[in-house]
Amino acid sequence: MLARRNAITGYSLLAPSLFGLICFLVFPVLIVLWLSFQQWDLISPARFVGLDNYRSVLSDPVFANSLMVTAVFVLIVIPIQTVLGLLVASWLTRGLPGSLVLRTIYVLPWICAPLALGVVWKWIFAPTDGALNAILGIRVEWLTNLDLALPAVCAVVIWTNVGYITLFFMAGLLNIPEHVIEAAAIDGASPFTTFWRVKLPLLRPTMFFVLVTSVISTFQIFDQVYALTGGGPQHRTDVIAARIYFEAFQTFDMGRAAVMAVVLLVILVGITLAQQLYFGRRTTYDLSS
Amino acid sequence: MPKRSTVIVAVVAAAAVVAGSVAAAVALIPSGPPEKTTVTMRLWDDQVAAAYETSFAEFEKANEDITVDVQVIGWADYWTKLRTDIAGKSIDDIFWVNGGNFVDYANNGDLLDITEALGADAQKAWAPSVVAQYSLNGSLWGVPQLADPGIGMFYNEDLVRAAGIDPTSLSSLHWDPTGADDTLLPVLKKLTVDANGNTADSPQFDPKKIVQYGYNAANDLNAIYINYLGSNGAALQSGDEFVFDSPAGVAAFQYLVDLINVHHVSPSAADTNTNGDFSRDQFTQGKMALFQSGVYNLANVEQGADFPWSVATMPAGPAGAISVTNGVVAAANAHSAHPDAVKKVLQWLGSEAGSAPIGATGSASPAVTAAQQVYLDFWNEKGIGVTPFFDVLANGTVQAPQGAKWQAAQEAFGPVFEEIFLGRTPVAEGLATAQQAANAAIK
Repeated sequence: MLARRNAITGYSLLAPSLFGLICFLVFPVLIVLWLSFQQWDLISPARFVGLDNYRSVLSDPVFANSLMVTAVFVLIVIPIQTVLGLLVASWLTRGLPGSLVLRTIYVLPWICAPLALGVVWKWIFAPTDGALNAILGIRVEWLTNLDLALPAVCAVVIWTNVGYITLFFMAGLLNIPEHVIEAAAIDGASPFTTFWRVKLPLLRPTMFFVLVTSVISTFQIFDQVYALTGGGPQHRTDVIAARIYFEAFQTFDMGRAAVMAVVLLVILVGITLAQQLYFGRRTTYDLSS
Repeated sequence: MPKRSTVIVAVVAAAAVVAGSVAAAVALIPSGPPEKTTVTMRLWDDQVAAAYETSFAEFEKANEDITVDVQVIGWADYWTKLRTDIAGKSIDDIFWVNGGNFVDYANNGDLLDITEALGADAQKAWAPSVVAQYSLNGSLWGVPQLADPGIGMFYNEDLVRAAGIDPTSLSSLHWDPTGADDTLLPVLKKLTVDANGNTADSPQFDPKKIVQYGYNAANDLNAIYINYLGSNGAALQSGDEFVFDSPAGVAAFQYLVDLINVHHVSPSAADTNTNGDFSRDQFTQGKMALFQSGVYNLANVEQGADFPWSVATMPAGPAGAISVTNGVVAAANAHSAHPDAVKKVLQWLGSEAGSAPIGATGSASPAVTAAQQVYLDFWNEKGIGVTPFFDVLANGTVQAPQGAKWQAAQEAFGPVFEEIFLGRTPVAEGLATAQQAANAAIK
């Protein structure tokens, strides 16, 4: 009887978030799954086409290119922004003068609207009258050059995210007990050894959180790409989320867009599970010893 | 203790008495002014939206029971939002559509049949070219609002004179893809200047340090390449089918691409592909001598340019100066909740009084023919002769973009065109690829 009452109380407390989860996550995912078997242009009635959309998307070289571009994008952005975030956090936790102001400045890009940032950076990168070329005194076509477009977009995204990641690493670093650091110092550990052998292992819970959320958000990057390059030149920055948007809202092929979204979902679930397996065995949340 | 049935009867009787009393009280309350119907309208042009506010203020005086709410949605998001709002049944009562974007909705039964709603005679008041552009299956699918005439060429009088060119000669410029009879290119070379003051016809000219461009050859459908196609005897489409990949089409595109990448008299496509306003801004900043565009940029140039400027006829090609002419209509939601009010607003929009404010502010050329003189008068009073935009139509026109799935087609050929103008994809190869992709997209 008591167990039953506890269960009812538990489910009652869960109900609001469960409602949100079902309405805004499970239900849309199910609709996307349903859409992936339909042909629908938003205005005509949807028509069941079986696996045609899957065949079409999975044999489409443009979609394969998008997957490749997204993988390269993630492989560039994640390591750089994580290392930078860690370095900046280490620097800011030393309590140097001006740290508080710098913390605020670093987080500013992250709290700004990504699309607005994309537009501002597009002006900065403009070949003829852009600020960057004016400062460098040379003409570089940053966003239309086939080799520079993706690195330029990566740079903007890294610049946007570093402050956010720094915040988490700062919290993680400040959470490490002082006596652990002191013990390492007494044992003769150099600052680098202390960082590498003591702080970094104790940062694993933070690292796990940062990597999981960063990988997911980087795979889903859209706003800055849309504003900066629109997926060009020659699809060099055509990341998967942008491809889904163009498929859905430029060519109005919702079925194909839904298949791409399903593929993205599968990839993200796979990567998150892999991260969970890797970090699950190596992460301790007990910082007391 | 009373019986259960007695209690039920008593409760029902009491409820009836209360309901009757409330109904009587409501009936005795004096009725207020008639409830207002709000008709919503959306468009992408804020200058015309301001003119509409003036127009609807008059309309609302004569129709006290109707309020018209005008909303502006930016061009960049207009078509995406229109589509999703139609899909979500949250579309406005009246909305602007253009030639490339009305067919899907008309075919799908989303648009009010204007011929049926306002009668066939109503069309007599509107520009025939716009009526023809928006007629499909024997019906008209919107009330004509704007009738852009043809394309013209804005010029900076100071820069033209400084190059030793007589401004009156600009209207007779012609281009030739073979180069045999080309008077345009030599003029453009004289008008393009580098940081050292050398013009593009000088051996010392440095194309990496251009400070003044001659012209705006660019990946611009309406102002540039569709007119070059027409002026060389080619076309973008024939009916709904894309036909730009023809020998004449290749020659026209090659001429444009060479203006940018070989002769350097126009800005790089690295600037213009991603910023549709780049050339206009260069012109209004006094950094471009000739700017080919339509009347839709008259107000922008008038507001932005602080130098003397005027308009010449666009350059002629081997087939003459053949321009595109385009219109915009106000389409109505076929499923509006208040069709009678919508019909009244449509009638107003199609009337001289309703359209005159559009012309009176010079923001656009009205499609209601009786209101067009107001537009001409506005610019004449400012000393700007706009006749080149209209006169060019006497040479004939090239077919404007049309057909179902236009956006899908544009998504297919657009990226290829960007590469063509950047000079990275050979013109013939690019046009063949683009045409195949565009025609596949509309299937």
